[in-house]
Amino acid sequence: MWTYIAKRILWMIPTFFAISLIIFLILNLAPGKPGGTLASGAEGQEASGSSRESYRVFKSQFNLDKPVLFNTRYALSDEQVEKCLNNYANESGKVPMKEVIKSQELLEDYGQYSIPSLIRILKKSEGNQKFRAVVLETLLQNAQRYPINAYAEHLDEKTKKINNEIDIENNQIRTFACSKDASLKDQEKVAQKWYAWYGKHEDRFKYSFWQKVGIFFTDTRFFKYWASLIRFDFGVSHIDKKPVMGKILSKLQYSLCLSVPAVIFAYIISVPLGVFSAVKQNSKFDRVCAVILFMLYSLPSFFVATVLLYFFSQGGDFLKIFPTGGFQSPSVDSMTTWEKTKDIIWHIVLPLICMTYGSFASLSRYARTGMLDVIRSDYVRTARAKGLSEFVVVVKHAMRNGMIPIITLLGTLLPVIIGGSVIIEYIFGIPGMGQLSITSIYNRDYNMIMGIQLISAILVLIGILLSDLLYALVDPRISFK
Amino acid sequence: MEEEKKYKKVSYWSVVWSQFKKNKVALWGLGAIILLLLQAIYSPFLSLDVPLVYSVEGTTHFPFLVELFNKNRFENTVDILFNGIMVASPFIVALWFVLKKVLSFSTSKNLVIFIGFLILVCILSSVASENTKMGNKKYKDEIAAAKADGKKVSAIFPLMKWSYKETDLEGRNPQAPSAKHLLGTDATGRDVLTRMLYGTRISMTIGVVAVSIYMLIGIVLGALAGYFGGAIDLWISRLIEVVICFPTFFLILTLAAFIEKRTVFHVMILIGVVSWTGVARLVRGEFLRQRGMDYVQAAIALGISRAKIIFTHILPNAMGPILVSATFGIASAILTESSLSFLGLGDTTAPSWGGILNVGRQQGKLWLILAPGFAIFFVVSVFNLVGEAIRDAMDPRLRQ
Repeated sequence: MWTYIAKRILWMIPTFFAISLIIFLILNLAPGKPGGTLASGAEGQEASGSSRESYRVFKSQFNLDKPVLFNTRYALSDEQVEKCLNNYANESGKVPMKEVIKSQELLEDYGQYSIPSLIRILKKSEGNQKFRAVVLETLLQNAQRYPINAYAEHLDEKTKKINNEIDIENNQIRTFACSKDASLKDQEKVAQKWYAWYGKHEDRFKYSFWQKVGIFFTDTRFFKYWASLIRFDFGVSHIDKKPVMGKILSKLQYSLCLSVPAVIFAYIISVPLGVFSAVKQNSKFDRVCAVILFMLYSLPSFFVATVLLYFFSQGGDFLKIFPTGGFQSPSVDSMTTWEKTKDIIWHIVLPLICMTYGSFASLSRYARTGMLDVIRSDYVRTARAKGLSEFVVVVKHAMRNGMIPIITLLGTLLPVIIGGSVIIEYIFGIPGMGQLSITSIYNRDYNMIMGIQLISAILVLIGILLSDLLYALVDPRISFK
Repeated sequence: MEEEKKYKKVSYWSVVWSQFKKNKVALWGLGAIILLLLQAIYSPFLSLDVPLVYSVEGTTHFPFLVELFNKNRFENTVDILFNGIMVASPFIVALWFVLKKVLSFSTSKNLVIFIGFLILVCILSSVASENTKMGNKKYKDEIAAAKADGKKVSAIFPLMKWSYKETDLEGRNPQAPSAKHLLGTDATGRDVLTRMLYGTRISMTIGVVAVSIYMLIGIVLGALAGYFGGAIDLWISRLIEVVICFPTFFLILTLAAFIEKRTVFHVMILIGVVSWTGVARLVRGEFLRQRGMDYVQAAIALGISRAKIIFTHILPNAMGPILVSATFGIASAILTESSLSFLGLGDTTAPSWGGILNVGRQQGKLWLILAPGFAIFFVVSVFNLVGEAIRDAMDPRLRQ
């Protein structure tokens, strides 16, 4: 048993790695850019200098300036850089705006890797004022290094020292600034400074074979993401820079308040209903039940939710019993515990109905089929023949085996219980996990989306394991050998 | 010879069909699906702001046929394709008749030719729509103006004179149901009944195309895994295990939000690409089971090519469960699409039922909630009903 569980859990690691790889690739290769408003500012007309700079910092902070999976920028050719520079300089004025911005972004992303090429291009481009201005501008921007772990709360002495050196060097580089319409002579002066600087730091840009291998695999978005994921760190939200995990945990209580009672109610209703209609198979009750359950099963929950809100909420036109949405009243702080509980229950009645009916419709059908499978078996007939009462036969003998399928379903419900329902929470304005998912999608909060996806994937993995284990637990005929 | 004639040839599918026919409710369901399809195809005859025929001062115009391929009037490609099918429908019926009765090919050959013809019609109609450069001409205004001038005008319109994007600004929108708008109008003044009718097209296409996409992926992967076994099976099974763990609905939501100019086709592809695991597992299981059977061994011994064995020998035998899961799949794809539109992440211009329901929720108007809600409910339950009936009809234990 324990070896089986250990084996399954070990299997989860490669599976989880593959899941995260695929989801990461899909998200990063999907069209559009993260960063919400920041990125859209950069996408439109040429953004102002300061917002451009803040977007650049944002990109480096979330590793968005790095290639997604493999980094081959150590072998960046002069032609590639020159092409981007040409597009960015746009001397002819014919390059479309989109292309200009794309080249600008690419140049930014190349960062340190583009320095040797830039220096060589600088040497080559003597006499071309406009082009050279662009080269100098790019150099100034790319030569500055980012401090290590700038956003961490605590830094050890060694990193602090390195960051200090980086700071001093950056300050030195900033003195190389050169205005856009400087004369050729001034440009040449600055260029000489650059040559001197490059001569001093040239070693930094020569990579050994192993360094190249290292860059190829590790200086990428995916590696950086996984490096923190190993420490169970899902990164910070793009929007408010708060840890993803903390945000998810803070929303969990709302979703649990809804989904746990929903699942409990669904089981409480569906088990007796399924058992009863199986025992009285083909009776009128069974048929009516089947039709009703079938209809409930096909009713879309967002429709039911909208109708319930229309008829029973204070925002609707008829019975103004329940609130229009939310989890608690605004005046929650001045309430006693008992009043608070009442308030929450008052708020979650409608969403609870919506969440319950769908699952109990399908659960009852499972319960009925499960019971039908055993009710005709020999041991049940034997129990009846012994003269046991029908109640004992059904409840003590048949039900134990008949309920196996729907007990194992409990494991697969785990992601629903914790993840909540996106639609129900959206309609009723409950600030749980579902709501969080939707807002993070609208805000293009990549780390948040990744975090939610991965946590749900883990829950599915655990859920499958759990239902297999439950199956073995309730059915002694199943063994792990 | 005498002996043989006594027994009528009974194929597996005719047995299933005769079982299916015994279920009256399911037959009604099947009829409803056919009716819905017909309604989807012939929507322009039910509601469009273009007259079939109109004459001004003796000169007669037939704008209907050309307007069917006007991209400015039908902003959705789905509509153009359906219009093409509508125009070609007499030919489609004729083709079916010829194939079935005159040429009497095998069923699978018929099906291939038939689907090929449908695709041809779709391509032709989209090409036709690319080449038309018509504006959004207002025939109703023109006819009214001509009438006001005292000219002799007569016109035959479809049952209702609205197009699904035309806005009626005469009343305060959303207008309540009236004789003019049987189901009222939405927030921008578009006729809800017309949008509902054209919404059938969206839902039907989503269901059929999305399911076809994931059936294709699932069947190919499942067949490969089940037939070849070994390392291929191992890798495909691992892939299935991985994809099963994806939070499907959330992934669809995310990707839909990332696509800037969403069309209905994006939604179909998204649904298709993430939900193939069920089918793949099903097909793999079926193939594993069939692989060891004598008829497959015989086919291998006869030297028939692998592709032929997979697709013409084993696949038809595995088709039963696939068909059942496809029927349920259509229902759930329709549901997924309407949820997406409800959240505002579907095709925002398309007259999708989920979108109408969302407007109804925001406006708090009952007719905008009930009409699309019941439409979704109806379609979903009809497909579920038929799926269950097919499953029961195939179950030998339930055979009567």
